[in-house]
Amino acid sequence: MSGAVHAPRRWDPLVRITHWGIAAAVVINRLVTEGGSLAHVWIGLALAALLALRLGWGFVGPVEARFTSFPPSPRRAVEHVRDILAGRHVSHRSHNPLGALMVYALWASLAVVIASGIAMTGFPPKVHAEGGERPAAASTVLVDEDEDAGEGEGEGEGEAGGESGEIAEEVHEIAANLLLVLAALHLVGVAFETRRGGRQIVLAMIGGKGKIKEP
Amino acid sequence: MAQPRPARSRALLGDRLAPAVSFVVAVQAVAAVFFIGDALADIRNAGLSSHIAIEAVIALALLAGVAVGALQVRRMWKEGRRRQAALAVAAGALSEVAAQRFREWRLTPAEADVAIFALKGFDVAEIASLRGSAAGTVRAQLARVYEKAGVNSRSALATLFLEDLMTTPLTSREAP
Repeated sequence: MSGAVHAPRRWDPLVRITHWGIAAAVVINRLVTEGGSLAHVWIGLALAALLALRLGWGFVGPVEARFTSFPPSPRRAVEHVRDILAGRHVSHRSHNPLGALMVYALWASLAVVIASGIAMTGFPPKVHAEGGERPAAASTVLVDEDEDAGEGEGEGEGEAGGESGEIAEEVHEIAANLLLVLAALHLVGVAFETRRGGRQIVLAMIGGKGKIKEP
Repeated sequence: MAQPRPARSRALLGDRLAPAVSFVVAVQAVAAVFFIGDALADIRNAGLSSHIAIEAVIALALLAGVAVGALQVRRMWKEGRRRQAALAVAAGALSEVAAQRFREWRLTPAEADVAIFALKGFDVAEIASLRGSAAGTVRAQLARVYEKAGVNSRSALATLFLEDLMTTPLTSREAP
């Protein structure tokens, strides 16, 4: 009996909650709500709050959650790829270097999505249509979607008022698509790491059981 | 292999509380954005009023709640990690002490196994099924363990290890 007890990496509850909250908001806003609808806008703002919370946590949270634990470093990412190719398994206290790059990419595209969304609706979103320079068509629609918004998940070419509105909408859609691509890559990365190193990486984000595991 | 039974109820209050507090913090953060948005909209529509002042205070209180809650989560999380590390040190120390004693007593590998199971609280029938041997064999091995250790009961055997651990202070790895 070795008796050595290893505490597997486990994300703290704030990281887990913001992670799954943001993931849920992205999925809901993509699949369920209609772009420009009141629900879409408020879910987006809730997402922004969760992202802000996570970013603040990156300064004051536990060591593993801090930015300093996973600096964006292409050099270390390359090293990490070498480790993978050589079949070495180096354990990282926080995100592995490739994962760290993915995290920052996801955050950056989330920030662009949020910023362009706010650029379209203003903050606070113009719930009260009076006085807004862009009167909402229906009481629940904040951003005018195209009349024939039958295509896709309601993300047709909207015609927001003004040049800047159109640019914001364009940016919003591109960034949202980029976000989905990154999220898909993120899932691939997790699946790959799971095959390489076991289910620990998933359990760390789910939490709960498996706090102390014998090797 | 069967897991030792006691490890179940080790989740202490802080371990269960941290996720709950985190959840409240997240909800507060979302609510704060909504309240700030509402207050700004009201200011734009109606200018400053006592109603809006109250809203602003609420928004600030929510933000303060987020900050305090987050720090609380951090404290509980660190405390949990510290306890976990201390437990690992203790577990490592205990198994070291056990191995040392077993050598001193010249237990056979089979006897050492039986002794460990006995210390973990398994009874003779359970040990027999875990080791795939007859209950009579286990009983005889256990009797020899007691004899070599110079005790006459399981609890006396366990006390020997506790004594060792309590006289030698555990060195914790680090206590940040």
